[in-house]
Formats: sequence, structure tokens, C-alpha cells
Amino acid sequence: MRGNKWFAALGISSLLLGSALAGCSNSEESSSQTNSDGKTVVELNGWGSSPEEEELLKETITAFEEEHPNIQIKHEVIADQYMDVIKTRLIGGEAADVFYLDALDAPSLMQQDVLEPLNDYMTEDFDVGDFEDPLVNAFKSGGTHYGFPKDFSTLALFYDKQAFEEAGLEGPPENWEELREYAEKLTVDEDGDGTPERYGLGFAKELARQFYKFQPYGGKLVTEDGKAAFANEKSVEALKPIVDMYKNEKTAGLPSDVGAGFGGDMFGQQKAAMVIEGNWTIPFLENNFPDVDYGTSELPAINGEKATAAFTVAYVMNKNSEVKDAAWEFIEFMTGKEGMEIWTSKGFALPTRKSVADKLGYADDGLRSSFVEGASYAQPWQAGENLPIIMNNFDNQFVSALLGEQTLEEALKKAEDTANNEISSSN
Amino acid sequence: MEPAKQNEYSESFKPKKPKPKINPKAPKKHPMGKKLKESLSGYLFMSPTIFTLGIFVVVPILYALFLSFNDVDLLGGIGYEFLGLDNYTRTIDDERAKIALLNTAEYVAIVVPVQTILALLLAAALNSNIKGKNLFRIIFFLPTVTSSAVLTLIFMWMYYPDGLINNFLSFLHLPTYDWLSNPAIALRSIMIMNIWATAPFFMVIYLAAMQDISDTVYEAATIDGANWWQKFIYITVPILKPVTFFVVIMGLIGTFQLFDQSYIFSGGSGGPNSSTLTIVLLIYQYAFQSLDMGYASALAVGLAILIMVVTVIQKVFFGEEKLHD
Repeated sequence: MRGNKWFAALGISSLLLGSALAGCSNSEESSSQTNSDGKTVVELNGWGSSPEEEELLKETITAFEEEHPNIQIKHEVIADQYMDVIKTRLIGGEAADVFYLDALDAPSLMQQDVLEPLNDYMTEDFDVGDFEDPLVNAFKSGGTHYGFPKDFSTLALFYDKQAFEEAGLEGPPENWEELREYAEKLTVDEDGDGTPERYGLGFAKELARQFYKFQPYGGKLVTEDGKAAFANEKSVEALKPIVDMYKNEKTAGLPSDVGAGFGGDMFGQQKAAMVIEGNWTIPFLENNFPDVDYGTSELPAINGEKATAAFTVAYVMNKNSEVKDAAWEFIEFMTGKEGMEIWTSKGFALPTRKSVADKLGYADDGLRSSFVEGASYAQPWQAGENLPIIMNNFDNQFVSALLGEQTLEEALKKAEDTANNEISSSN
Repeated sequence: MEPAKQNEYSESFKPKKPKPKINPKAPKKHPMGKKLKESLSGYLFMSPTIFTLGIFVVVPILYALFLSFNDVDLLGGIGYEFLGLDNYTRTIDDERAKIALLNTAEYVAIVVPVQTILALLLAAALNSNIKGKNLFRIIFFLPTVTSSAVLTLIFMWMYYPDGLINNFLSFLHLPTYDWLSNPAIALRSIMIMNIWATAPFFMVIYLAAMQDISDTVYEAATIDGANWWQKFIYITVPILKPVTFFVVIMGLIGTFQLFDQSYIFSGGSGGPNSSTLTIVLLIYQYAFQSLDMGYASALAVGLAILIMVVTVIQKVFFGEEKLHD
């Protein structure tokens, strides 16, 4: 009798314990290297993009799978906080075999020894020399390639032709002084309440969209050892025009001021007559605002010099991947001539290979030529492994300078000090 | 009013007479052995819970304590380096930790009193015999059952420069604000949203406690000539003191741990201009963006200590009272 009771107690407890443990069991499927058809499965992680781009990516992947019938690509989109997720997965040993890496985050990951060096995989046929140098170098450290850029974008000026006509202006501004005058003429404030219905210029306040202005004034973003270096007169001079236009002249506005998602949206809604945006805006406008008659031009000269920013993203391989050869075949295809041609054929992003760019003829494309032109002098958005910290602090302080809560000098000083403090205490 | 209160209590809450213990199978011999066996089987039954709690609560707490004394390397091979108290002293020089602490303190200092008073007033209103009070109870409680992420997104939509709230304000010829991107306003926007969402939850707790207060107390007060407000201030509020203690403590803990709303509001950055940077958001940033687990754990331990200290202060302030003792 008593023995039975003990038996029952033990039974119930182990049942409960078992069900508690059941939740911890590992699903075998996720770690398998081959699927039921005997194909090698390569996992790919990337961030989300427009449905049109997703479609194009699917097309490129299908082309790869047709050529490599023994490999299957499992694509997963990480919707938000991409780098946080990727880093966490890398730590947990659960990262995908191949994933996107923005040039901005490349230095820290290259240093952490979590990416597979690709030098040994490269063949003659791959033709590394075909890539634009600054773009491939963003993913190179000490002669070792850790990834190859899949595409890039630069910034250019979008201008509303109709608005220009109404204001009696001809063609886009050549330099920032002219841009400032134009912006004043293009700003429309019909009810005179101080908040224009249409701003002359729409811009983004993030460091990623401002940093290229430092160089023409002789300033720079970071020092040799990767610390913030923009608290000086040169940088103040570089950023002063945009702050004045926003704060005093009210001829420039942010997308958030008019309830738009980004500059392209603001431009499409005709709440800005000019915006500084990347080539991703062209297909966006085509799809959402087909009636807007606009042109693009290279960014107006800053202090007599041409300057723009370049954003590039690479395919990199996880060092702990179990299917490295298949993963390389995928990277080779996607960043190779064939794959890149499919991927960049619609012009969402520009090809990083010169041969592909020539073949697709973007240099002669009315709207895209300004972006291609910019590639030769663009400054890549990358500056050492501390850039995420610097960027965070700049973005925080620059807003308050725009709002006039502190002067630009104070904001830059504070951003630099806080960033450098954080950098030195984290090392 | 004191005597009334005493009477009331002794009337309706007479201490129960101790019942004789019924233990039909009480063994006559080996009482100690039986006791040991009983507690053993007790622990056996509890073992699944103890195991789960241990793995998911106790071990993480101990591990966080351990991490907070180390410099932790996570990417590319896990490594620990003992730092002693360095992570804790680092908080003193950390400008962002200071901002986060001030933001959180401001948030707590405004939200907790407002939501407590609002909850009390709402409960008092719904406790009276107004028409359709059940409908109002449901309507008021709805925000609480809505997911905070969804709530935040909807509020952000309303907060847009040309959104519902600004349209409404300009319709009334009141000044409009840039609710989302003005550093001076952004935290207030979150406060408004959070008060609106949490006050009803505490209202329900107050309401339940109010319905426990016997009518005889109020009747006695009416005979003494007390008006509605006097009854509220001199009867309802003092009797509800232990409930208020609970509501304030839960409110404090909840507001000190503000994370999801400011995370969604600022897209994880704590902006504009660090104005929505809270302690927990800062911990998140250090832990998952900078992968500085050691320092993040030190901040988390600091926050836990802070909440404990504030709770103890509250306890002293309110005294150790229990409902119906």
C-alpha cells in the first residue's frame, strides 16, 4: 500500500518533470546538413526589403539552385535589429551559413574571428579585380577577404521638375550655396504658420547621411585608432548649412516632420522639392508615386569638392558553418558575374563589378547615371569597429542641435566625448 | 470614524474558531519518520517546479551576479576575465547611465502617483451606482488586455505630426506637439500612453478591495453627516492603504522596468537625444548591441538593488499593515 503511494508520487513527478523538459528538447531539423532529397542545405540570413526586391532575390536564388541541383538555399528574413540577432546567433552557434553584412559592421566582426576567410576558396574565374576597389576593401582586413560586396548604393539629389519650373529654376543646384538659395525659393508655406507645406529640401539627420560632408572641409569622422574626431571647427562648418536651413530658414525638413517614413516617401508625397537619397528611391517612386516628374543629379559640391556616401553590403560566411564548400558556391554565384547581373538587373542596387555595370549600362541610364558617377569619389560608410557607438551618440546629439536646444559646437563636442568615453571604457 | 471601523471589522471578520485537527490516519508510532517521509514526498511533488524555477530563475540570477564581476567575451569564443568591482565603478563615469537613471526616475516619479490616483478615482466612480457601470468597467479594462507592442504602435500612429492627436488639438485651437521626435516631449508621450494603459489594471484591484468595504461604515458616516468626499477621504482611502501599498510597489517595479514602449518608440536607440533612454533599454543596448554582458549585468544588478531599496522605503513609509487584520 505504502509502496504504491510512493510509486504514484514518483510517477506523477517524473511525468511533470518530463513535460517541463520536453520544451527544452532540440529539434533535429534545424541542424541537419542535408534535407530528405539528399541536397545540401545552405542557410541564408538577410534583412527584409520591398516585395519587388524579395521577388528578384528569389529569382537569383532559383537560378543558383538550377545550376547547382545538389544545393538548396534556405532563406530567412530577419525583420528587425538585424545585427543584434546575427551576433546573438553567432554566439549561440546557431548562425546561418551565409549572411548579409553591412560595411558598417564589418570591422568588428572581421576582428572577432567569426567569419570564414575566403582567400583559399577564390579561383581565377572569380576575378576579384573586377570589383570596385573601395567596395571590396570594406570587407578585407590584412589582405584577407572575409566577404564580397553584393551591391552598393550612393546618395544623389532627387529634384521635382514641376516644382523647379514653378519656381522658375532650371536644372539642379551645382553646389551647396546654390542649393540653399533654391531651397528657399522652393519652400511653400501658404498659410504662413511657420511650418511649410512643402520644404525645399528633405534630408535625413543620421550620421550615415551626414558624414561625407566632413572630408571636403578637411575634417574626418574618426581618428587612426577608431575614436570619434568630429568635435572641431571643420566639422561644424560642414554641418552648419543644414542646421541653419532647418532651424533658422525653415527651408529644410525631416521626413518625420511631415509624417513620412523616409526621404523618398517625403519626396513622393511632394512635401519636399528636393531630397538627398539613394538609388533605392527610384523603384520606390516608380511603384508608389508614378506621377511625380523628377530628375536626379550628383550631390551639389561641398566646399568646391564632390562628395557623396556609399553604402555596401556583402555576403559573408559563418566560420562555424558545416557546409562551407556549398556556402562558397553560393557566395561565388551571388557575387559572381552571372548572379550579380540578375540581382542588379532591376536597379534596386548597383552592381559592384565593373563588368556587370558596363553590361547593364547604368552609366547611360538617365536616372541612375548620377549614382554610378558618384561611385568614383564616394566615401564608404565604414570607419572602424567603434562606428556603431559613434553613430549612436552623434544621432542623439545632432537632433538637439537641429532643434536649437544646444549649439552645433556643443552637440558635436558632447557626442564625441560621450562616444570616446564609451569606447575607452568598453575596451 | 475610527470606532465605526473597529465595529465593522469585528462584525464581519470574526476570527474563525480553530478547528480540531482531523487526521484519521494519524500514526501512533514513529512520528519523526513519518514527518520526514511527508516532507520528502512534498519535495518530490514540488521537484518539477523547483527544477523549472531553479533553471529559469535562480540559476540566471546567480549567473548574472557572476557575470557582473567579469569582463565577458562572447563573439568568437567565450572568455571571462575577473574584474572585481570595475563594472560597478564604471557606471559612475557613464554619462548614458546617468541620463538613463534620470529619465527612469522622472518617469517613475510622474507615472506612479498619477496612475495610482487615477486608478483610485476611476474605481471610486465605478463603485458608485452609476448607470451602465459594467460597460464602463469593460471599456476601461480593455487597454490592459491589449499587448503593449500593439498599443505602442497604435499610439505612435496617433502621435504622428499629422496624426489624430495633433488634429484634435488643432481643432480645439490648442498648440500641437511633435510627440515622437521632440526630445522634450517624447518621454511624456510614453508616460501618457503608459498611464492610460496601466491605470485600469490597478483600478480593478482597487475596485475589488472597495467592494469588500462594508456599507455599514458608510451608513454610520452618513448618520454622522459626512458628505461623499469626506467618506472617500476618511473611510475609503485609509481602509485601502494596504492595497495602495501593493499598487504603488507594483507600479514602481513596472515603471522602473520600462523597456518595450521606449524600445519601440525609438527603434531601440533611446532617442531622440537620449530622451527615452531608460535603464532597461540601456542594459539591452550594452548586452545585445555592444555584447558587453559583464557591464550590462552590473547595471541590471544595480537596478535590482535600486528597486529593492525603494520598496523597503515604501514599506517603512506605509507601515506593515495588512488588509483586514
